[in-house]
Amino acid sequence: MDIVCNNISFQLPHKLSITRTPFTFTTTKSRTGPYCSLQKYSTSSPIMRKPLINSLLPKTDHDHREYWKLNPGKFGRFGGKFVPETLITCLSLLEAEFNFVLQDTKFQEELSTALRDYVGRETPLYFAERLTDHYRNEKGEGPEIYLKREDLNHVGAHKINNAIGQAMIAKRMGRKSIVAATGAGQHGVATAAACAKLALDCTVFMGTADMEKQSSKVLLMKLLGAQVKAVDGCFKEASSEAIRNWVGNLEKSYYLTGTVVGPHPCPIMVREFQSIIGKETRKQAMEKWGGKPDVLLACVGSGSNALGLFHEFINDEDVRLIGVEAAGFGLDSGKHAATLAKGEVGVYHGAMSYLLQDEEGQILGTHSVGVGLEYPGVGPEISFLRDTGRAEFYTATDQEAVQAYQRLCRLEGIFPALEASHALAFLEKLCPTLPNGAKVVVNCSGGGDKDVDTVVNYRYNQ
Amino acid sequence: MAVATGSSSCCKLAKPCAFTTSNSSQSPFKLKKFTASPAKSTSIRCTIARDPVVPMEAKKESDPAPWQRPDVFGRFGRFGGKFVPETLMYALSELESALHKLADDRDFQEELSGILRDYVGRETPLYFAERLTEHYRRPNGGGPHIYLKREDLNHTGAHKINNAVGQALLAKRLGKTRIIAETGAGQHGVATATVCARFGLQCIVYMGAQDMERQALNVFRMRLLGAEVRAVHSGTATLKDATSEAIRDWVTNVETTHYILGSVAGPHPYPMMVRDFHAVIGKETRRQALEKWGGKPDVLIACVGGGSNAMGLFHEFVNDKDVRLIGVEAAGFGLDSGKHAATLSKGEVGVLHGALSYLLQDEDGQIIEPHSISAGLDYPGVGPEHSFLKDEGRAEYYNVTDDEALEAFKRSSRLEGIIPALETAHALAYLEKLCPTLADGTKVVVNFSGRGDKDVQTAIKYLQV
Repeated sequence: MDIVCNNISFQLPHKLSITRTPFTFTTTKSRTGPYCSLQKYSTSSPIMRKPLINSLLPKTDHDHREYWKLNPGKFGRFGGKFVPETLITCLSLLEAEFNFVLQDTKFQEELSTALRDYVGRETPLYFAERLTDHYRNEKGEGPEIYLKREDLNHVGAHKINNAIGQAMIAKRMGRKSIVAATGAGQHGVATAAACAKLALDCTVFMGTADMEKQSSKVLLMKLLGAQVKAVDGCFKEASSEAIRNWVGNLEKSYYLTGTVVGPHPCPIMVREFQSIIGKETRKQAMEKWGGKPDVLLACVGSGSNALGLFHEFINDEDVRLIGVEAAGFGLDSGKHAATLAKGEVGVYHGAMSYLLQDEEGQILGTHSVGVGLEYPGVGPEISFLRDTGRAEFYTATDQEAVQAYQRLCRLEGIFPALEASHALAFLEKLCPTLPNGAKVVVNCSGGGDKDVDTVVNYRYNQ
Repeated sequence: MAVATGSSSCCKLAKPCAFTTSNSSQSPFKLKKFTASPAKSTSIRCTIARDPVVPMEAKKESDPAPWQRPDVFGRFGRFGGKFVPETLMYALSELESALHKLADDRDFQEELSGILRDYVGRETPLYFAERLTEHYRRPNGGGPHIYLKREDLNHTGAHKINNAVGQALLAKRLGKTRIIAETGAGQHGVATATVCARFGLQCIVYMGAQDMERQALNVFRMRLLGAEVRAVHSGTATLKDATSEAIRDWVTNVETTHYILGSVAGPHPYPMMVRDFHAVIGKETRRQALEKWGGKPDVLIACVGGGSNAMGLFHEFVNDKDVRLIGVEAAGFGLDSGKHAATLSKGEVGVLHGALSYLLQDEDGQIIEPHSISAGLDYPGVGPEHSFLKDEGRAEYYNVTDDEALEAFKRSSRLEGIIPALETAHALAYLEKLCPTLADGTKVVVNFSGRGDKDVQTAIKYLQV
């Protein structure tokens, strides 16, 4: 039987009586099973479901996508739509529009043209010859490293894939203005560019702390015609302010989310627009070596570039998925952004997921030299992939990331974004464990020209 | 006694002279008045003087097909050539033979294509700029169609990498392990350092000390890429002095070293080589134009500093007389201010950095320091092939001021969400004057030679955004 609560539907096992609510307040116990984490966990939000969903987890064919079709917005127990009532209709409209454009040939053609001619896709799958040599052992054996060059996109990162797709949806829906929030600035710039192209007004909310660190990005947004509004604090305050602004003007404006967090349908919408990365990778891998990648490696802030690469391969069990979070000054220092390593489950920005919170459920401050990884939460789908064991997650410190940045500059003449450098840093630990000739694809999610002065200052301070 | 003279020339005796003897003290030669022959009088001057420039409209359009670009001596008409010290002649000849061989070398061409595709990110799109086209639409709804050739999407953000990659691969083939380059703003230096890192070559970049101060971030970039950046203090400590220093280094180390020149200037075979490595721009454009609208472009526009991005776009279409070629130089504060870099408008013919071409020089033949808000157009010379195309009337050259370029910078950012390099903004600025003169539906392709992230600080100062 179905119970609908706040637009989230739950399927109850038939033997449960209708007078019992699906909610209980008990401490969950560690569970065992092939896809269950062995770690203890607790939730800090008062809404806690009994683990009913277990019975619905695919048991044999592991077809996660099929599962999600039955439970839109839910990734196991993660995800959902934890929002004020005023937003529910809006989100439903958005979901309907999104489902429509997925099937609409005209929209898909326009989007393909924009991705090809404006964004500059498809991005190359580049064989990093000197980096591969660097990881060869004394016998000359080692994996082959390929870089998926999202740094070559217009405005220099993967963010534009999503920004252009959503801006096109907004235009379809007749919205005249776009509202967005940005931390590192990359999403703000991508949104401003897409809005300029599509003649939409653009307002970007940014925390004052971030505006100081990313002043060049602020200038870029202004040059592109966007209005940049300062909010006291950092990204989480900017997000909240952006959403407040949106709620006040729901008919005319559109909230353009930058990553795979937020209430349904935002996570799947962003993931769908970013999944072009993985689709191209499959095709290019087939052309280059007649097979699939063995390992996919990506940095994880909230998870959009990682899911963009991983999504295509989730059902390919022989492809290993590895995400790398920011360990900042170290996991024990308290100054990091390693949500999956150190976080607990809770509700943040409209979705249930892992997040960095204290005992009272307050959000913890984060730190990373890669500002785009400083989000204290993570996408619900990423949390699900972690809990089911489908993907593995590790961390890299600031120092390891800066070293990886310099390594790629010197060996390949490519400046990787400091965010992507976290993924590259993990190659140091990963490569010695891989068999000879293993094909590793690293998502070079952005260009690192923006990070030259950060790296120089970091080296100077060391 | 009479001396028979029959010749009208005092210089020669046409017939045997009959001398009369006399007891007079007169000389045996009668000095007859010299009458000038009807042949044209000539004068020889030992400085190179500019021929009077024939106005474009008056020049009869000649057929470009039989032109040798360049001829065996590396000349484009009278321009180009190899004005270099003897010690460099061998290196230049070696380079030239290598180029000829590699043109037919399939392995080399495939390797180069692979790198252009996977490393540089080619092919770059030919993007229909809908809002810019709308901006130039006339009240009756007609107007040209504006397309942008997106060289800004290349790795390192400009067209420079096409040439840097080609020359680095060539240097490797020649067994050179050491690369030198000169740079002004740092863009070419960064592109060179990039490819040297990629191919594991030692890289030394010469940069004027003044430029190093203005472009500190680019200096850091080059160092992060593993290059050595050497400051040049001579002269005005800017690009032309860095170029001279680089040439001096090359003369000293010619066996081990390849000099990656950044533009279509310099001694033969550099103008030809750099053009050929950039020619991929024009080749892709021809194919993409055919796919998009089943024809050729009507007008090609590009900014001109040294001229490499322009030649890269134009070269493919020089023999297509129905395709108009327009180069746009930097007029800085205005042509009359004396602070500009409009070599083809205000320059005179002379030799600079090994080639005969137009250049900005004073009456003593000293180079005039150019000015432009965009560092990449701040070169006092221009590639010899451009000088040739101008004199032949095959290409037209105009100029725009700093202010016009800044306006175009803002316009492209606001209307298309693409921030152009200030160099590129010069080409975009010319659309303001050009579009009203074009027929409806004219296909205009602008070479979007680089992105403008590097120019944001400069632009903000002026635009007060």
